[in-house]
Parts: sequence; structure tokens; C-alpha cells
Amino acid sequence: MSTERTYLHAISAGLRQEMERDDRVFLMGEDIGALGGAFKVTDGFAEEFGSDRVRDTPIAEAGIVGAAVGAAIAGLRPVCEMQFGDFVACGFDQLVNVAGKMHYRLGLAVPLTLRLPTGGGFSGGPFHSQNPEAWFMHAPGLRVVAPATVRDAQGLIVSAIRDPNPVIFLEHKNLYRRVKDDVDDGEIFPTPLTARTVRHGSDLTIIAYGAMVHTAERAVAELDADIEILDLRTLVPLDEGAILASVARTGKVLVLDEANYTCAAGAQVASLIADRGFETLDGPVRRLAAPDVPIPFSPPLEQFVLPGDDAVKEAARGLLEY
Amino acid sequence: MGSSSTERLIDIVMPAMGTSVSEGTVTTWCKEIGDPIERDENVCEISSDKVDVECPAPAAGVLREILVEVGDTVDVGTALGRIGVADEDAASNEPAEADEAAPASRSEESGAETAAESGSEGATGSNDAPTDEDGNEPHVTPVVRRMADHHNLDLSKIEGTGRNERVTKKDVEAHLRASSDEPGEAQPPLDGESRDRPDPDQAPPPEPVAVAASAPSAAGEPQQLSRMRQSIGRAMLDSLATAATCTTIVECDMSAVEHARSRLGVTALPVVASKVIETLREFGSLNATLDGEMMTVFDDVHLGIAVSLGEEGLVVPVIRDAQDLSIEGLSKTIKKLARAARDKQLGPDDYAGATFTVTSPGAFGALIATPVINLPQVGILDIETITRRPVVVAEANGNESIGIRSMAYFCLSWDHRAIDGAYAAQFLTALRARVESI
Repeated sequence: MSTERTYLHAISAGLRQEMERDDRVFLMGEDIGALGGAFKVTDGFAEEFGSDRVRDTPIAEAGIVGAAVGAAIAGLRPVCEMQFGDFVACGFDQLVNVAGKMHYRLGLAVPLTLRLPTGGGFSGGPFHSQNPEAWFMHAPGLRVVAPATVRDAQGLIVSAIRDPNPVIFLEHKNLYRRVKDDVDDGEIFPTPLTARTVRHGSDLTIIAYGAMVHTAERAVAELDADIEILDLRTLVPLDEGAILASVARTGKVLVLDEANYTCAAGAQVASLIADRGFETLDGPVRRLAAPDVPIPFSPPLEQFVLPGDDAVKEAARGLLEY
Repeated sequence: MGSSSTERLIDIVMPAMGTSVSEGTVTTWCKEIGDPIERDENVCEISSDKVDVECPAPAAGVLREILVEVGDTVDVGTALGRIGVADEDAASNEPAEADEAAPASRSEESGAETAAESGSEGATGSNDAPTDEDGNEPHVTPVVRRMADHHNLDLSKIEGTGRNERVTKKDVEAHLRASSDEPGEAQPPLDGESRDRPDPDQAPPPEPVAVAASAPSAAGEPQQLSRMRQSIGRAMLDSLATAATCTTIVECDMSAVEHARSRLGVTALPVVASKVIETLREFGSLNATLDGEMMTVFDDVHLGIAVSLGEEGLVVPVIRDAQDLSIEGLSKTIKKLARAARDKQLGPDDYAGATFTVTSPGAFGALIATPVINLPQVGILDIETITRRPVVVAEANGNESIGIRSMAYFCLSWDHRAIDGAYAAQFLTALRARVESI
């Protein structure tokens, strides 16, 4: 039997399964209880699991993350929601300096999951549209995952909760209700922290994650070429083997980021290819990302800033002709 | 000739190619009569039972005589040709002289030889200067250059379909498919020599074009096997007819190797090889040779490393006193030997005296193989491809779960005349324990 789930419901399903499976799993966040979360990911959870395990918190991200680190060290499995991923900046110190370094300093595991609703495309403006993954890729000790599909959304939230490390779980707001898929009923299995080949091809590899995977798929559907798409799924650890193998097959690569261009996740991917895939390249390593500006509120301006289908098609054509 | 009075002739002799080789066959003359030659420049190529070598010029001068034609076999020390060496500075009139000296009977095979030579020169030239200063020449990308080098292609002869008529990877692949003489794939390198390419376990599977293109050349015409193939064939048949070959296999978790490999910046082969060497020191009967009823067990490990020369064949250069080398040292030595073997820079002594052999065709994607023992050695270990597989993982507290691990099969062929299955299994499990706990 299978059920159609949205990306958002997949995250809910994964959370529900892990809460039922493991008493140590509990949720914290702003308005996640009675309101069910700003996006309704935890809708009904307070009724089902009680307010001890679905805890509303003050608007204080440093407090949420700090309390979660303490709970994790004490043996619980906290899952925290930042109402918008942008707000994680307030919890930065607890995350980067406390959670990420705990194991290295004291040998203590911090099995903490931090859900960040990220990304733009719906006129959220500069405080509600960011993609902050690169901040955390640069901080040792944190894992960073970014599902693009319904299946991976539910599988990766399960992986994140069971992981002994602090995991940043990037859920793309623009995929919440737009992406739907039939998934099997029954147990949700953890998704391995590896890249996924969306489609095989021999002319060009497009590397993306999160919402950009769908942008790539739409663009490729309109191009008359045999293009491979690699969905990274996890940024830390980065599946270097899959990246290099794909580029070795096609010889050409386009790396997509919805995040700002400089030092984005895709910059790390491009650097890896230049460093270790040089002799397999049959063209320049091309990147497409948002320019280094805050994401505008204005709908036409936002569409201009975010890498869209046409920009991807144009960049892909340039590489195919190269 | 006016210059002959100022010239003396020096013999080019069939070189001694190690203690066990007494004769050799000239396979190619790289120079024609009248060609100027630098000292130590390659004048001709020699093939023996065991090895192909280049014959360096004993002095600078002009090739005056060819005494042994291509295909003829002569004893070591026989004069193959003669170089005219100027007693005084006669270099200025050499070019004119070269034309004049060119005899009508330049040699029967000179036509074919010239073609081959100009082909290789063309390839080298175009690779050395892929771009013009003024940018008019379309440039050559890293992968195209590597493929051209590997297959010895002249890129100027391939039609480019890329921007500014650049020759693309696909153009090279199409060219290789079209020319039946060439292997039609960019073969992943042997584990031992990565040359800054991605590591072999990450190399892509060979592309399907290979099958069609590796068909015999000159469709349907029987062709004589090369000397190397004949030699390999004799040795392998001899081994199978002599040794009581058995193969024992263990499965090994390569996670620790992967980790060590990336930490040290080497391939998996030297990491595993170092553990093989350690384990061999404990299991002496596998670090041994068996000749009839006489078995010799060695303290030191002289490790044979199989190096593929592509379709041409396979050679096994030896790392002497391998127990004295660190992993990095092994890595460096393996790379050096593999490169030298491919460039035909090794002599027969570089191939003699191994006490055990390691082969790692894993880069080509095979899962399990039963290697043939390189007599008189007693064992050969085949390290196969590293793949991600689900395995039962036991935690320290005894809990078991299914995990995804990088796994590889180690296939040991051993001679039942020398040892028994229990010994082979003990060796492999000891090796596995070492490899998994690097």
C-alpha cells in the first residue's frame, strides 16, 4: 500500500514515527505545540504526544539550541524547529561553538536535530528566504542535510534523529506543498548520507540539492541532451566519490546553488572537482547561484535573483556547446 | 663522402637485459639511416621473452648502418647498427649529408615505419603545444589531452565539434570507436598509478563502447600473438599445469583503508600492500618459492605488483625489501614502477625475484577473480573492487544492525603443494584484521 504525501507531510511522518519509536525523541520550537508550527509540520503533535514532548518555547533561538544541547548530552534526542531558517543566526554560538565542538572537547555526543525551513521563491523577503547551509558546512562537527524529494524528506529526518551528531536539517519551504509523491505505508527507513543520481546522462552533469534539483529537472526536460542530475542530499558529509564519478563520466559540470554565490556549498563542490577531477574535465566547471545580495521581497526582483529554469538552460547549453 | 675521413663508426649492440636473457628481437628501428642521433636517444626497440626495452644510442652522431632488421633475433652483444661519430665538429654539414647518404635500399619496412613514426611525432607535437599564443588554436581540455596521450592520438586528425572546432571528449570517443585498432574506452588507470586522476574506486564504470571496439583488428584475419602475449601464455599454462592452485576468499571492510587512504593521499593499493607485507612476515610459507620439492621461505618480502599495459599485456615488476617501506614509500615505488613499466624503462631484473604477488584489477570493476600463481611463488593475492554493500555491523555492546560499508573481496590463490587451506584462511583472516584496524 502507498499513500500520497507532500514534502511537508513526509517530514511530519518521519517525526511521528521516531517519536513513537523512541521515547527520548522530543520537539522544541516557537509555536510548534498548540499552533502546530508556522508551517504546520507538527500539526496535531501536541495532542498526540503531550506538551512535555512537544514544547513551545520563547522566541529565543540561543535558548532553544542551548537547551537542546543540554538535553542531548543528558541522553535525550531533541528535534528543534527554527521558525524560519534565517533565525538560526541567533543560536549560532550554541550550535557552532558548543554543539559542534562538544565531541571533540569532551567526548560527548550531541544527538540533536535542528530543522531549518529555508529558501525563497515566495516573496518572503530578506529575513525569511535565506539558505544558510554554508555557514554550517564551515563549522566542524555539524552534519548538514538537504532533502529534495518526499522520500528523502522522510528518510533524512529519520537519519538525522538517529545520528549521534548534531544535524542541520534543511527543509525547503517552497517544496513543502508543491512536491508530492506516493510513498509506501509502513516503516520509514533512514536515508543514507550519500548523493542520489536523479537521472543518468553522458553529456553533462548538473549538481544540485534542495529546490534546485527540481529547477534542474525542469530545465533538463526542455533540453535535447543526455544530462545527468546529481542530487547531493547531504552537504556534510559531501559524497565526493559520487561527484567525481559523475564528472568523470560526463566531463562537464554545472553546479547549482539557490544560496548566495560566494563560498556557497557549490563552491566547495567546484573546488573538489578542480582539485581531484581535473584530468576528467572536458570543459570549465560552471556555477550558477544567487548573486551576493539579500533576497528581495519584490516578486520580479526575487525571480531575477534566484537561479531559474531559463538561467539553468542557458548555462547548460553553453556547456553542451563548449 | 667527404666527411668519412673525420668520422669513426661506433657499434650499437644488443643490450644485456638482465642475467636470464641471452637474446633479443629488434621490433622497431626508431631512426633511419642518415638520421642524426643524440647520445642516449632511443634508436631501436628490443623485445625479449620477458620484457620490451629501448636501446639507447652509445654516442651522438648519425645512424650510418642498420645491421639487424626488424623481426630478427640475435644474441646479446651483437652489433645492431653503427653510428658515425664526428671526430671533430662536423655537425654543420650533417643535414646535407643525411639526404645524400640516404640509400635507395633504405630498408624494406621503412614505409610502415615512417608512417608509425610520424604518427607518434604528430601526437606528441600537438599535445605539447595545444594552444597558440594568439589563441587561434582551439585548446585541449584535461580529459582530451589525457585520452590522446593514453591512446597516442594525433588530435589534429580528429574533427572537433566543440566551440571553435575544439576536439571534445565525445569526439575522441567517437574516433576511438571508429578506429578498430584502438581500444575504444578511456581505461581507468591501475590502482597503482593515479596521476592526479580521481581514485580508482571512484572511477566510472568502463563505458559500453569498449566491447565493440576491442574486436580483433583487420576483421576475421588471424594474427600472430605478440611476444609478450605468447610469453604470458606460456607462463600461465605452465603455472596451471604445475601448481595445485586453490583460491580462498575473504570479505574485508575497507572503511579504515578508505580513511587512511584519504589521510595519506595515496590509493588503496599501497595501504593494503603494507598490511600484506606485515602479514607475510608472520606467515612465511606464503612468502616463499617452491621449485619441485625444494621450498625456500624468505624473511624479506620482495613484492610483485601486477601492472596492466592495456591490451598489450601484463607485467609484474618487483618491489625489493618491501618491508622497509612505509605506506607512502610503497605508494611512490608502485607509481614509479608502474610508470616505468608502461614506458618500457624496466629491465628483466626488475621483474625477477618476487616472493609474493599482489594484483588489483579492482579499478576495472570486477568483484571476484581467481588469479594464477606466478611460479615459483606460492601465493598471489587479488584485491578486488571496493563496493558499498549492506553488512551486519556489531556494536561494542553486542547490538547488531545493518550498515553500509565499503567492502572488497581479497582472493588468494595458493599452491596446495606448499600449504593447506587452513593456512591460507589464517593468513587471510590475519590480513583482514590488520586491514580493518589500520
